[in-house]
Amino acid sequence: MPEATDKSFSDIEFGEELPELSPDVSLENVKLFARSALMMASRFISHEKARESGLPGAIVPGIMSQGILVALIHNWAPNAEIHNIDTIFRAPLIVDTKPVANGVVTDIDEDSKVIELDLMIKNEKGETPVVGTARISL
Amino acid sequence: MILDLHTHSIASDDGRAKVENYCQWIRRKELPLDGFVLTEHRQFDDASDYRSLEDRFGLLILKASEVETEYGHVLVYGVNDDLRAAFDFARIDNPLAMVLEQAKRCGAVAVPCHPGRPKVGLCAHWEIKGPVEGVHTVETLNGGSRDGENEQALEYAEKFGWKRIGGSDSHIVSHIGRFATRFEDALTNIDDLVDALRAGRFDAVRPE
Amino acid sequence: MDIEELKNEFTGHVFDKIDLKVEEESLVGYARACGETQPRYIDPEHPDFQAVPNYPTRIHGTRGLPKNFPIDMHRCFDAGKSVTVHAPIRSGDQIQGRSEIADIYEKTGRSGGMLFIVHRMNFYNQDDVHLATVDWRLVQREFD
Repeated sequence: MPEATDKSFSDIEFGEELPELSPDVSLENVKLFARSALMMASRFISHEKARESGLPGAIVPGIMSQGILVALIHNWAPNAEIHNIDTIFRAPLIVDTKPVANGVVTDIDEDSKVIELDLMIKNEKGETPVVGTARISL
Repeated sequence: MILDLHTHSIASDDGRAKVENYCQWIRRKELPLDGFVLTEHRQFDDASDYRSLEDRFGLLILKASEVETEYGHVLVYGVNDDLRAAFDFARIDNPLAMVLEQAKRCGAVAVPCHPGRPKVGLCAHWEIKGPVEGVHTVETLNGGSRDGENEQALEYAEKFGWKRIGGSDSHIVSHIGRFATRFEDALTNIDDLVDALRAGRFDAVRPE
Repeated sequence: MDIEELKNEFTGHVFDKIDLKVEEESLVGYARACGETQPRYIDPEHPDFQAVPNYPTRIHGTRGLPKNFPIDMHRCFDAGKSVTVHAPIRSGDQIQGRSEIADIYEKTGRSGGMLFIVHRMNFYNQDDVHLATVDWRLVQREFD
């Protein structure tokens, strides 16, 4: 993947798609996240314990999904200043799967110079367990 | 004429899309939509006026509502003062039979949406609580459905002879137009839409 | 359960405060695990080193809901989070999170009847600079 370069407001087009990101949601990486975030609940770090509580497997913490979407934005525009990011957790994102994160430009405000994005994480079935929006400036 | 009959804007608690951005998206992505209907959750947005957006983008923008009943969510087209006085749109436990009856009495049309969805779809409740008089149309293509949910809705529609609509159930800009409804007639306002829904001159489609 | 009564009683006032020091290791680990690659978030030597914008979502107060709030926190799930950034969070900052209930409302969804509780945390640093606002949408299923 080519290294992203800083962007300016005038570079951005309505409907522009952010480069897709394949986040690492392996159990090993989720454990690293959980340690950093002090979220060591078993449903995040143990498939077995998660299944015992009725989940299909260990789940990616919602805030890690949100962090993945932050990384998606910075991967596209390293200089992006995120003013707001809002994510809705519609269904569990399962650890050790291969989700993809996507984003697209949905508003460009010429007065405030604020850009809005739709964000989503899709699972292997093509469902979107995580959707969100962000307001950024460059 | 193709309309997305199920969309949410920032007026809904979980909506994140501005109406103008929906219009921009439809035009930029060249979606084969002639317009859309805003179906905000548990309310009717009386105040907003989208005529200037309609003119600017050449789209039909209509307003309706998504209300909640003990049989799941229901889209109501043709909301007027009489209907708003008939029941509380904000409640989450309106009786479906009452909503269907009042909609008919007030000249509106009520359509159960995402019928295959657990808890908030018609099918599961129909199995448990029994049939309800007055259902004639359901949403068989819903953009927020998971595996099997639209299929179940279609199965019910075929079994009971219900007409079918489609809608994206979009809450963010880029989800508009995932499903829609094709009408045989040209529609120019909410009265035309209600007439067409009553006459059954439409079907659910996936816009290509 | 009367939602208006609940709102009147519990919304709009701070019910909990928590203080903590922001550790460099935590900032880097959090950002890296999310796939962040920009040096200002993962390199402590970077002149503008700071927390990724949603870092404060990991900070919880000493209690999730106000005392006497008639909901069991353990029956709630996390339906979403909104983070508004006011100023960067830096390594070494001594920050305080102040919790309040911002809104309460009901709706139905795939989980049946649901009560939404918007738990808002405002974060401030040692100079009382407002750093961030996190709205955490907590949901209790099958309430009546």
